[in-house]
Amino acid sequence: MNKQLIIIPIVIFSLILLTFFYLLSIERNPSNIPSNLLEKKVPNFESESLLKNYIFDSSKEFNDEITLVNFFATWCKPCKEEHVYIKRFAKEEKIRVIGINYKDSTKKTIKWLGDLGNPYSNVLLDKNGRIAIDWGVYGIPETFIVSSEGIIKYRHAGPITKKIYKKINKIIMEID
Amino acid sequence: MLKNIFIVLISVFLVHISSNISYTIEPDEILNDQKQELRARNISKKIRCVVCQNQSIDESNAPLAKDLRILIKNKIKEGSSDKEIYKFLTDRYGDFILLKPPFKLSTLMLWFMPFVFFIIGILFLFYHNKKSKKFN
Amino acid sequence: MAPFLGNFSLWLSLFFGTYQFFISKKNSKLKFINIAAKGLLISSLISFFSLLHCHIVSDFSVLNVFQNSHTTKPLLYKISGVWGNHEGSMLLWILVLTIFNYFIFKLYNEKNSSFISKALETQAFITVGFILFTILTSNPFERLFPIQDNGLGFNPILQDPALAIHPPLLYIGYVGFSAVFSISIATLYNSEKIPWHSYMKPFVLTAWTFLTIGIALGSVWAYYELGWGGWWFWDPVENASFMPWLLGTALLHSLIIVEKRKSLQAWVLLLSILTFLLSVIGTFLVRSGILTSVHTFALDPSRGIYILAFTALLGGYSLILFGSKSKKYFDNSYFSFFSKEGSILINNILMVVVCATVLLGTIYPLIIEAFTNNKISVGEPYYNSTVIPIILPAILIMGIGPILGWGKEDKFKTFQKIIPSIFLTIIMTIIIFFVYQTYTFIGIAGIILAFWIISNNLFLLFKKNKKYSIGMIISHLGIGLLILGITGSSVWQKEKITKMKMGENINIKTYNIIFEKINEIKGPNYLALQGNFLVLDNKKQVVVKLKPENRFYPITNNFTTEASIHTNLFRDLYIVLGDGNPNEGWIVRIYYNPLVIWIWIGAVIIFLGGIIALRVNLKKLKISS
Repeated sequence: MNKQLIIIPIVIFSLILLTFFYLLSIERNPSNIPSNLLEKKVPNFESESLLKNYIFDSSKEFNDEITLVNFFATWCKPCKEEHVYIKRFAKEEKIRVIGINYKDSTKKTIKWLGDLGNPYSNVLLDKNGRIAIDWGVYGIPETFIVSSEGIIKYRHAGPITKKIYKKINKIIMEID
Repeated sequence: MLKNIFIVLISVFLVHISSNISYTIEPDEILNDQKQELRARNISKKIRCVVCQNQSIDESNAPLAKDLRILIKNKIKEGSSDKEIYKFLTDRYGDFILLKPPFKLSTLMLWFMPFVFFIIGILFLFYHNKKSKKFN
Repeated sequence: MAPFLGNFSLWLSLFFGTYQFFISKKNSKLKFINIAAKGLLISSLISFFSLLHCHIVSDFSVLNVFQNSHTTKPLLYKISGVWGNHEGSMLLWILVLTIFNYFIFKLYNEKNSSFISKALETQAFITVGFILFTILTSNPFERLFPIQDNGLGFNPILQDPALAIHPPLLYIGYVGFSAVFSISIATLYNSEKIPWHSYMKPFVLTAWTFLTIGIALGSVWAYYELGWGGWWFWDPVENASFMPWLLGTALLHSLIIVEKRKSLQAWVLLLSILTFLLSVIGTFLVRSGILTSVHTFALDPSRGIYILAFTALLGGYSLILFGSKSKKYFDNSYFSFFSKEGSILINNILMVVVCATVLLGTIYPLIIEAFTNNKISVGEPYYNSTVIPIILPAILIMGIGPILGWGKEDKFKTFQKIIPSIFLTIIMTIIIFFVYQTYTFIGIAGIILAFWIISNNLFLLFKKNKKYSIGMIISHLGIGLLILGITGSSVWQKEKITKMKMGENINIKTYNIIFEKINEIKGPNYLALQGNFLVLDNKKQVVVKLKPENRFYPITNNFTTEASIHTNLFRDLYIVLGDGNPNEGWIVRIYYNPLVIWIWIGAVIIFLGGIIALRVNLKKLKISS
């Protein structure tokens, strides 16, 4: 009876260690939170835009083409560093790129885009951060890929790197 | 006079650099209705600050924590129930944002096992006690 | 010179560790084992002090010093900076391992030579494992050229006296259980008549006592430093120290039954193995990068894989060994509930259940992440719902357990014995509620339990009965005080958050607090804004001047808030200064925390009880050998 009893803790011990080993061997960031919006429709929201007199209505805007949504701010250093990739998305991939300007000054944003180049067909103004909350954003920058039916297919938290750029390209091709 | 200028400069310096750091629960956040305020605090204590290390949004300095605190208070004022507020947050941030793990199929083991451990312990004690009565 | 010496000594300690492993296997002559144990100790001392020297003189050619130190750091924190980082703390781990190794060696005599040799072989294996880990993945003596002018500074939140001494004390705890582990491995192999439990006891006492104070100091730091009066967060790394403590407590108690009744031997051996395994798993959680926490060191999966493999090896080996060789330690004696053995058994079961629950809560998010695409959090609400209900009965039984006799006890006689403490408990409870006047179930339960423990042990103390171990009485008393402090500060805390301009005042409880002015302060490596608050009691007498600060450390570009706290036996008054400016005013948070100091007093008293018990135990050991 006693011999069998010791097998239980040994088995549990081994399973726990195997789980840890698995987690260590895959590529993961322990502080990353998975997006809860994947395979769901884009959040419903209305917003001001940099374009004059334009009120952006999300229920009408995501139904035609694949869209890349990029949350950014002028006060965010990694946003500046990834900006070159956002521009490449707009130019090379021929998808629509929308920027959401998070808790920022409109004046500063216009200057920033003027200096660095503007890949966005539209820039929405999220002054109080509510739109970001609706998208489950917890840090800037974050980038989403939305299908032509308005379903969120992918989310990357953090700046776009070369690796992520390639990954997103692949995903865009798959959605098409 | 010079001292006042210095104080203003230092506080502007600190506030400017810490412009992304606000301090926990600021006085203008506090709701007038005490019951609602208590409700808001209780909910906030169960919501994780997702950009901090193991803190609730009630305790945290982070801007996102403040935004969520204010959002919760607004929803309470609008008449949402606690359940609706939790659902609003988990719809956007997933279960990760709850400090008290939800009751789901995947967390069945988590909530169930402590109880099971306890029962096994008690059963073992009774077994031991019974055997002792037999022997002594 | 020092970096080279340090690195050389580190390799030397690897040599001595390996040497000790092989010669104790062969059960060689005393003089060889002597060389091994002493060599191991001395080389690890030299290695540790070399790194200490590098930090003190700010030798930035050493990468570890560059990454963690700065010339403007006060000396105390240059010293504590040695173990405040991953690589340096590994040297501390190794040092404590070799110290305990030496104490195991000191037990060696003709009669127990093969037993102690086996223990030394095991301890050597563990030590070599950690030295190898340090050399391969975390060598503190790595150099950095060209030599930088200054270092990267150090996190200012960690520049605190309590935090400075917290790791060494904690490690004596964690690492001390390695000796207990080694002795239990030796016991499993043993076939001679060896009083293994009397060898084990001083190590269990030492490790447990220092683990207690180590954990307490971590909480003291959190309370005084982090700015909102919390002192326990169920953070994975805190849990990693709490779990060995729980099993260590169970071990301490069941060891008594092994001593007095020769029963539960197999159980004690299993506990010894599990306690140390939890220490090692705790090390894994903190250093592998598998999770993030306020406590974790730099994230590095390769380190994690090494520790995991080492844990698997150590755990697999010891558990399989236990499975095959423990049979001779099983016995068929059973005891009734209502006896000292019974109460200790109940304590053990409950400690294990709490430990299993804490383990489950700590690793569950990782399990969910591995098997689903989801992430969940297991935070304070979970542990409050599960751990507290289980711990309450344990504390209740702790009141009468010590006064029960061995074997079955007369219930009526026992009841007579505890009548005075029941009275005292009721009286004290009524007084407390008269003062604080808030009634919650947890508050009532906590206060009753606290005074239940305190009364029972005060009476035992005054009876001066030689039968009872004074160390035990004092430690139990400490736990009662601890619970008093925990209950008071959790249940009756009052908080006021407000915006104040200079000259304004506010009331909290019976105090009137006046915001006098703001000062600018220059510290050794920081600039600060300091608020001056005058605290008056209800008779308009000045109680204290509180001066909370907001500090800016230019070197690391860090901000910290330093709370200002006035403590007395009844309550803490705690003020934190927030954002603000002279025109609009400043955000001020004021806390009234009742009975907090009893948490720390309680912990120190538990520690004292442990030390007294250890002294008594060592005296007995000397006499018998």
